[in-house]
Amino acid sequence: MKKLAIGLVALIFSADVYASSKLQVVTTTEDLAALTREVGGDWVEATSIAKGSMDPHFVDAKPSYLLRLKRADLFIQVGLELEVAWAPPLLTNARNSKILPGNQGFLEASENCEILQKPTGQVDRSMGDVHPLGNPHFWLDPANGRIIALNISNKLSELDPSHAEDYKKNLALFQTRLTQKEKEWDRLVPELKGLKVVTYHNSWPNFAKRFGIQVVNFVEPKPGIPPSPAHVQSLIHQIKTEKILLILMEPYFDTKLPQKIAQETGAKLAIFPPSVGADKNIKTYLDLFDFGLKLLKNALSRSGEKS
Amino acid sequence: MRIHVSLLCVMIFCDSLAWAQSSAPVASALQASNVLNPNVSVIGWFQGESGQRKLGEGEEAPPAFQLKEAEIAFQSVVDPYARADFFVAVEPSEEKVDLEEGYLTWFNLPYDLALKVGKFKGNFGKFNRTHTPETAFSDRPIVHEKYFGEEGLSSMGGSLSWHVPNPWIFVDLNAEVLNMPKFSEVPAFDEARRKDLLYIGRLSGYYDLTESANFTLGTSYVHGSSGQEFDAISSSSKTLASQLYGLDITFRWKNPQRAIYRSFFWQTEAFWNKREISSLPSVKSFGLFTHLEYQFLRRWRVGGRYDWSESPSDDSQHEAGGLLYLTFAPSEFSLISVQGRQIKKPTGETENVGFLKITFNIGPHGAHPF
Repeated sequence: MKKLAIGLVALIFSADVYASSKLQVVTTTEDLAALTREVGGDWVEATSIAKGSMDPHFVDAKPSYLLRLKRADLFIQVGLELEVAWAPPLLTNARNSKILPGNQGFLEASENCEILQKPTGQVDRSMGDVHPLGNPHFWLDPANGRIIALNISNKLSELDPSHAEDYKKNLALFQTRLTQKEKEWDRLVPELKGLKVVTYHNSWPNFAKRFGIQVVNFVEPKPGIPPSPAHVQSLIHQIKTEKILLILMEPYFDTKLPQKIAQETGAKLAIFPPSVGADKNIKTYLDLFDFGLKLLKNALSRSGEKS
Repeated sequence: MRIHVSLLCVMIFCDSLAWAQSSAPVASALQASNVLNPNVSVIGWFQGESGQRKLGEGEEAPPAFQLKEAEIAFQSVVDPYARADFFVAVEPSEEKVDLEEGYLTWFNLPYDLALKVGKFKGNFGKFNRTHTPETAFSDRPIVHEKYFGEEGLSSMGGSLSWHVPNPWIFVDLNAEVLNMPKFSEVPAFDEARRKDLLYIGRLSGYYDLTESANFTLGTSYVHGSSGQEFDAISSSSKTLASQLYGLDITFRWKNPQRAIYRSFFWQTEAFWNKREISSLPSVKSFGLFTHLEYQFLRRWRVGGRYDWSESPSDDSQHEAGGLLYLTFAPSEFSLISVQGRQIKKPTGETENVGFLKITFNIGPHGAHPF
């Protein structure tokens, strides 16, 4: 019994409990974890706190996440205050100085990315749960994905110089695959150009800009504010008048109201995944665009001609 | 003195804010001052009350409406090693400004340690550390009021926290040494000598049962004094002891794929106290509360609390009661709650009181409490 107790204590205090030859990367979202796996390859173990089917604005800062953060060599967040409600308390409680902002093991993915909808002038909560630094859903443009992958590659090389060449090679391979995919996706652009859609939350400005889609309104009257009956009526009127064919919504919102709007207007409702892992078939960053664009194309073909 | 210190803190921060704002357009170098200002937020707590309180001797019924509290928070990282948190409570009805908490935390220590110094709420159970405006209730549970007073167990001192290293479950071991509070503030204890100290220990573990459900189990202990016993013959005095044991369990359920729509919360805390009384047998008292809450729509929650508690000075009688509430939250930053409370007093009288609690938060996102 005494030996068992000593063994258990030794196990608890032994650094081997956590030892791993791979660089431990914890990201806030699955998209960042997927990009880290592309660039890091076999030398990196990347896990995400928020699953792809979760709303990244609302994640509980569970103590169990601290166990992973404590062992992390690198923490990557989307930034632009997307995770402001839960990432800072996790970081300050993780007892891991390496991954604190300003230290080598911290990376904000938004560096050098094209950020849209930066508010100008006075910003306050009368505008809803607005992000003062710009729309944080910027990873939904492949051009930004390319920049995020570069940011991650640079950071991994800085943390693990012995495999810097591998990270560069992996980055180049990813970028080549992305370029090929972009050519495929670009063939769909003429079909989608000018397509008017309504989305639940303002999650797709970068995606819409990249693929020529026009987001004309939102089910939420303002970010984070549930729709009022008056807003719903005005939205129904707009969808009917402008003959909008599609309502896109994130998988983490309740479908009841959008379904009702779709029924009343004849528009098609599609659960449109904004992140890797939001659907079981979306395993990589490239899958995210493949899946989304295919979904749009199918929805359009079923809805007849676009407006 | 406390009021002066609090006012001074407010003035210093307000002054720095005013300076930064007025000088902001002057030059980018000066704008950096704005960036480095602490996060400032204010929680307003408006409360309405109806019903007849069964008041004890010297107690006064609250007015029908009051701005119970404006809680002003200043929070910032100090340097690469520490952060500071200040919470100033302005209570217009009481004509009181109080530094509710003000502490420095070194979160960057080796061996999974963190050290906190300053004035803070003691780490006993889970509920004590929550400021009343941020709780679901218009009041504090009876057991907390009986043992820790209206403001909770709070004092000045130091706190050392250790995340027990293991890869399976989250375990936190916490030890605190605080100045002994006065009986009038925290009835479970009483300062016997000026330099008497209060010792608090807490061990808690958190476990994810599934992706949606988790629970926290904690056990706490406090050792302090409960006044002095004088021996007139020998002209000597002896410090009397008060020991408080606590057990708490918290269960949460929330579907992470529908995080904003449905959730369930259950928390129970139980206190056992052994308090030495001059020339009398020790008082061994007990109290508990249990709280259930269900969020049934995005903006609506319903909840209830059951209270049963003896008093740390008298284990021969108890108070029992319950509180029910319905809460509507227009956004993450405001809520309106209608509450009804019934308490059966030790005298046999029943007190029925209704509350309207409205809280509103301005400033940066507060961390979602867990």
